[in-house]
Amino acid sequence: MIRILLVDDHPALRAGLSAVLRAEPGLVPLGTAASEEELWPALHRTKPDVVVLDYHLPPADGLQLCRRIKRSIPAPGVLLYSAYADAQLVIPARLAGADGIVNKGAPANELYDAIRTVARGDRIMPPLSRELLDSAGERLDSEDLPILGMALDGTPEKEIARTLGIAADELTQRLDRMIARLKVEVPVPREA
Amino acid sequence: MTRVLGAIVAVVLLMAHDVSDHDGWLIVATVGWTAFSLAAYGASVRLQRSPLAWLVDMAVVLELVYLSTDWRSPFYIFALTALILPATELPFRRAVGWGIMFTGGYLVVAIATQRLDSGTFERAIRLEIITTHLMIPIVIVLALGYAADLLRALRDERRRAERLAVQAERQRIAWELHDSAKQRVHAAHLVLSALDSRVNGANREIVDHALTELRAATADMDTSVAELRAPLDGRPVDLLLRERARELEVASSAAIVVRGGLPDLPPLVTTHAYRIAAEALTNAVRHADAERIEVELSADREHATIVVRDDGSGLPDEARPGSHGLPSMRNRAETIGAELEMTRGPGGRGTVVTLKVPLTHATEAAT
Repeated sequence: MIRILLVDDHPALRAGLSAVLRAEPGLVPLGTAASEEELWPALHRTKPDVVVLDYHLPPADGLQLCRRIKRSIPAPGVLLYSAYADAQLVIPARLAGADGIVNKGAPANELYDAIRTVARGDRIMPPLSRELLDSAGERLDSEDLPILGMALDGTPEKEIARTLGIAADELTQRLDRMIARLKVEVPVPREA
Repeated sequence: MTRVLGAIVAVVLLMAHDVSDHDGWLIVATVGWTAFSLAAYGASVRLQRSPLAWLVDMAVVLELVYLSTDWRSPFYIFALTALILPATELPFRRAVGWGIMFTGGYLVVAIATQRLDSGTFERAIRLEIITTHLMIPIVIVLALGYAADLLRALRDERRRAERLAVQAERQRIAWELHDSAKQRVHAAHLVLSALDSRVNGANREIVDHALTELRAATADMDTSVAELRAPLDGRPVDLLLRERARELEVASSAAIVVRGGLPDLPPLVTTHAYRIAAEALTNAVRHADAERIEVELSADREHATIVVRDDGSGLPDEARPGSHGLPSMRNRAETIGAELEMTRGPGGRGTVVTLKVPLTHATEAAT
């Protein structure tokens, strides 16, 4: 049995997701959250195995939320649920510690598979292309490139900090900065 | 127009006083030039903005002043009207330059027509009158130029505000489409897809059909959102297609060559022609497995033509399920009165998409 928490700001998707997951044997949606404020109590109450997290959750940033969820103990698997360019999301998602990305347009069985994969402790991400790596490299400081390499390789943060001889706090800050530079901007209309 | 007023003043003064021994001819010349210049400026906007035309006009009116044999001429007001166009069309500083030029020209005419007078008192009065005559053009140009500058700034500002408002509105619609409508369609697709593996036979077919439609709806919304967020902003078709070709080249293994160019098309025609050609290009890259794609842009007097040619697998006999590309291309072509033709390439290989946009009709449709 896989325990699941759903986080999405759109009511239609929360309802749809719950219904679909309830219908599948072995998956149990324990609760839903529409915002960051609802997320933390729900997380402590339900202690899920997998969090299905909307990438775009204004005013919060999905990737920063993902990092904070992954720091909670015990850390659940995080599956980013996105309606945006998935391929470009791969690198910032990996830096943020996400375990998988699923497009909102994917059929239910792909979602089931992804949740099961993440619950097993494996990763499910679109493949990483040469171009994406190159363009990410260009946008980062050269001193951050070793962190990028190790993080994409799956090295735990503690080990990265030890290898580079830097404090955990500094690594956290640098990761935050890297994610901020690489994240996929969601265009939001200005206040009219 | 002020010119007519100037001409009337000149003619009345000419008739009231004997200015010279050829007054009759001067009246004919004044009326003639007034009619001719008004007709010429009225016929061509380009002429209204041509410094050469202004210069000719100015030379003619100053010549009339000269022919009236006295710089205190009935033609003074008439001559001043030659300054109106430069003062209103040009930026402020250059307009003032024309004013000074006119004053210089008038001074030359004044010296050329000067008669010797004796008496200090009379000379002082003359000095004052000539100064007035020479200052008035400058004053006129200053006032007109300043007002024209203000008007231009006001017009630009209004255009900018309108553009911003349109942009904001488009952003808002795109946002609603993406944030609300598309999320609901995603939810419907997800729920229905959960059913897919649980039904069999005829029901399965129905569910599959609904799923296809929902995916197509998402794709349509993506296209609309893209169009709303990145309007083409009046850039020409060839430039846009070259940009699109570069983007697609990075994402695929096909080599894309864009050759030739197109004349400027009205905005509406540009948008549709570009979207049609871009769709053809995308199809060639995504579905035809083409290795080489050529885009040829050309134009003659009547048509602008875009040809997209690939060496891929050719048109499928049946439309791909969920494909809305071809009907939407046809719709767009109809909207701008263009001909759209899709055929197999030479020897049955690849696809040739030809779009012929009529140039005259295109202009009418946009206005």
